[in-house]
Amino acid sequence: MEFTIGRNIQRKEAWDKVTGVAKYTNDEQTIGILHAKLVTSTYAHAKIKSINVNKAYKLDGVLAVIIGKDYNFLTGSSIYDRPILAVDKVRYYGEPVAIVVAYSEMIAKKGANLIEVEYEELPVVNTIEQALDKNSILVHKDLGKYKKVIEDVYPEANTNIANRCKIRKGDMNVGWSCSDVVVEMDFRLPQSDHMAMETRTSQAQIHPNGDVVIITSSQGPFDVKKEINTYFGVDESKVIVKTPLLGGAFGGKAAVQLELLAYIASKAVDGRRVKIVNTREEDISASPCHAGFKAKVKLGARKDGTLQAAELTYIMDSGAYANSATRMAQSAASSCTGPYHIDNVWCDSLCVYTNHTYATSFRGFGHQSFTFCIERTMDKLAQTLGIDPIDLRYKNAILPGQSSPTQVKISWSNTGNLQECIIKLKDLIRWNEGQVIDIGNNKVRAKGISCFWKTSNSPSDAVSGVLLTFNSDGSININCGAIECGPGTKTMIAQIVAEKMNMNIDDVNIKFDVDTQTAPKTWKTVASMTIQMVGSAALRACEDVIKQLKDAAGIVLRCSPEDLDIVNKKVYVRHEPNIYVDFKYLVYGIKLPGGNSIGGQILGRGSYIVRHIAPLNPENGIGKPGPAWTLGAQAVEVEFDTIECTYRLIKAATVIDVGRIINPKLVRSQILGGMCMGLGLGTREAFEYTDKGILLDTSLRSYKVMHLGEQPDYLVDYVETPQIDAPYGVRGFEEHGILGIPSALANALTAASGIDLNQLPITPEYIWMLKTGGKI
Amino acid sequence: MIPFDFDYYRPESIKEAIDIFYELDKQGKNPLYYSGGSEIISMARVNNVQTEAVIDIKYIPECKVLKLEGNNLIIGSAVTLSNITESKLFPLLGQTVARIADHTMQCKITIGGNINSTIIYREGVLPLLLSDSLVEIATKNGIITMPLKEIFDRRVQIKRGEFIIRFILDKKYSSFPFFHVKITKNEKIDYPVVTIVAMKTENEIKVGLSGVCTFPFRSELIEKELNDANKTWQERINNVIKKLPEPIISDIYASNKYREFVLRNNLLKMLEMLEGDINVESTR
Repeated sequence: MEFTIGRNIQRKEAWDKVTGVAKYTNDEQTIGILHAKLVTSTYAHAKIKSINVNKAYKLDGVLAVIIGKDYNFLTGSSIYDRPILAVDKVRYYGEPVAIVVAYSEMIAKKGANLIEVEYEELPVVNTIEQALDKNSILVHKDLGKYKKVIEDVYPEANTNIANRCKIRKGDMNVGWSCSDVVVEMDFRLPQSDHMAMETRTSQAQIHPNGDVVIITSSQGPFDVKKEINTYFGVDESKVIVKTPLLGGAFGGKAAVQLELLAYIASKAVDGRRVKIVNTREEDISASPCHAGFKAKVKLGARKDGTLQAAELTYIMDSGAYANSATRMAQSAASSCTGPYHIDNVWCDSLCVYTNHTYATSFRGFGHQSFTFCIERTMDKLAQTLGIDPIDLRYKNAILPGQSSPTQVKISWSNTGNLQECIIKLKDLIRWNEGQVIDIGNNKVRAKGISCFWKTSNSPSDAVSGVLLTFNSDGSININCGAIECGPGTKTMIAQIVAEKMNMNIDDVNIKFDVDTQTAPKTWKTVASMTIQMVGSAALRACEDVIKQLKDAAGIVLRCSPEDLDIVNKKVYVRHEPNIYVDFKYLVYGIKLPGGNSIGGQILGRGSYIVRHIAPLNPENGIGKPGPAWTLGAQAVEVEFDTIECTYRLIKAATVIDVGRIINPKLVRSQILGGMCMGLGLGTREAFEYTDKGILLDTSLRSYKVMHLGEQPDYLVDYVETPQIDAPYGVRGFEEHGILGIPSALANALTAASGIDLNQLPITPEYIWMLKTGGKI
Repeated sequence: MIPFDFDYYRPESIKEAIDIFYELDKQGKNPLYYSGGSEIISMARVNNVQTEAVIDIKYIPECKVLKLEGNNLIIGSAVTLSNITESKLFPLLGQTVARIADHTMQCKITIGGNINSTIIYREGVLPLLLSDSLVEIATKNGIITMPLKEIFDRRVQIKRGEFIIRFILDKKYSSFPFFHVKITKNEKIDYPVVTIVAMKTENEIKVGLSGVCTFPFRSELIEKELNDANKTWQERINNVIKKLPEPIISDIYASNKYREFVLRNNLLKMLEMLEGDINVESTR
């Protein structure tokens, strides 16, 4: 029997996808479905003086218009701060103000164009600095009265601060006094978009029996179910949420937004089925984005490079509403030093409101932001000390026995081997050639490196489950609540089952569409936790069916279940393998020679809940943010024109400790996708706001992502230090490719240009500006 | 989603197209000539254009011509950008339009559409202006032919109801040494921070710019400065900057300062190359 783990198993849905047969949320055509269109704010901050819906109502085919006052309550995932549709005022450009429901999408759009909203412009909070200014206008004047969704979020009344997390480890005075060298730098990262190929879309129907059916492109269908219950008082048992394949998500589809709009749209037309589909422009400006970030990093070290102290101020621009940015600020705090051992750490990680598009989870969950700042400062420290940047990182790499910023004790199992990653990366990127090489014609080749780590920052009760059923030929069906967003997660879950069951992967089927009525709950498909969490549940479900199969086979084979093993859909006697029974004679009950049947259908169940996660102490941050970290080292090589300040990407490399490689090609493509996204953040992706907070790049004409033909050579290698409590030792790796790439790029370009590049994206103009001060 | 219905007309002759236009106009349908359609689609879906009828001119044979005829190169207004590039009949034009949008769009966008675009760059016009192209225009009173520069001032300046049939230029312009560069913010397929299109004819350099001001242009004043052999390249470039038809623009793609830096750099490259008569592949 060949093993399945470690093999390049093709994605189970590959043929459907490449032939166009695969169905996404908006692919289903339904006769009689109604269409909803949004009216969105044209101001970043304004009072809504009036909304005139009369002209829209008069349009033939318009069935309903809904405005904020119709649903005057607040929603949220950490703080209840966001109305479904703006009430009394708008807080960002693109904020949904009204919905028009009509017979066709065209009529709905025409109707939306006829809605007249009268605004009274208000001054905007357009930067993190403005948000923190003591005299700042407030994005939410009632912040102090808002209710919290989760306990560990600490909004500060009469400010724009939605959350503040503190890390207080060791003694800063000791840290600074032990430091021979102190370096300090400031950083700024813009908001940006997730830019999934599939824009967000939801459908809702309220059946006559009260069932609410939501079909949605969501990473968290079980959250949708809960939120519909919370806001509209519909029993959870009546809410059925279905999610087919997702065309990319990157965290952006974890937020619940269009589902609520689809629901109120359906409710306005007597429960008829209504569909709402974001245009690309709406997906960028109306739906939540990637948070902006500002940081001050101060590191102290001995002459030999040993880190002694870190003072870190992180501030996340969550835009108009907190959503999960509050938790991302906490997430950034919990791993705030990067994968380095530092005894004395002070970190304040804030989340502030501005009049920007609101933010939600994004690949890296805050780690991609602070990693840039830490890793740029590490290079600055290396430069100041005259130590090779590789050596500085190797020397400080976190090791078993040390502790994390939140004082979790480090083990090989809960982190992995960073030093080995660094050594492998050094070879992979040919560091010994030299960091900067002059190749003539005003061009240099330069390399930059970065380390990274990330943990899940998942809630302490994140649960997942797997149900297994059999077909009459003994093959298995997996039913779980995980969403397939694109990376092949479900294929890897099937591999885990095939491996445990010692059977061919072709005999293991997995259901792709998720229906919350029939699938066991999975917290959400986020946090790089799905293979681990659902995989763990799957292993338990396998153990459950293995026991049942052995018990049944023991009857047939007249032996004790302890004497039996399974392979290739057979249960056999371990010491006499020619005595066996096929699964197919067991899985639907055993038919005895006399014609009677005993036993029954074999069904497997397994569940998993993350263990020992502890909320962070609000005063010092002590707590456990996730089951483990995944860490690694990355590099980027560029060719830089020293006069024009333009550059070309040559290579990007990652060495990551993944614990165990389940499927080499799928793992590689997932890491590579993250790296490509990191290069996008590094080189071009950014929300551009006017001084009135109007978002300018709301389409792919002006908002650029990495294209074919611009990709560097991607190099990916692995270290495999198993995580003991994870299925086959696999660590979460799904997000991680993005984490250190922007900083590696910035370190390469800083080395090439001799200028500290501490903002993203790094455009030639930005380098030129710093180099010349704009003088020609 | 285009939020309005419109009628589609497909004339097969110039006269038919003109007649349809005036008839529809009389009916108040605000007709639009089109060929590739990409601009109508992209503008209509964001409510920036409104029409009740479109007149597709790509089935008019004269608008689809792309050929050498005697000493002339003839380019129909409904010829796509990719056709022009692939024909290799006018390499400078081919290279210039090969950097407008992406390949999928280049198979739709036509030269007439690009030149008539509401987007400010309209780079396709520059090689035609440099080659003193003539333009044939369909009007109510028949076809008129005139120098392109007489109807192109910042944008196409023809009357409503008229449309460009084709461009006619001396084929010698397709074999002069040339220079093309398009510098973007940081992504190959993007609007220009600066586009320079230049050629060296028998004895002088001709140059057109896009991305620098709010419109593409060829300027005699600038050419005069660039060809002033009594001055150093650096002096000539300084004078070019002074003679720009309007202040350099600043937007999300680049600041005016950076545009000036890029423009200066690349004018220098252009001079280096053309004063040495070397063809230069476009970079970036």
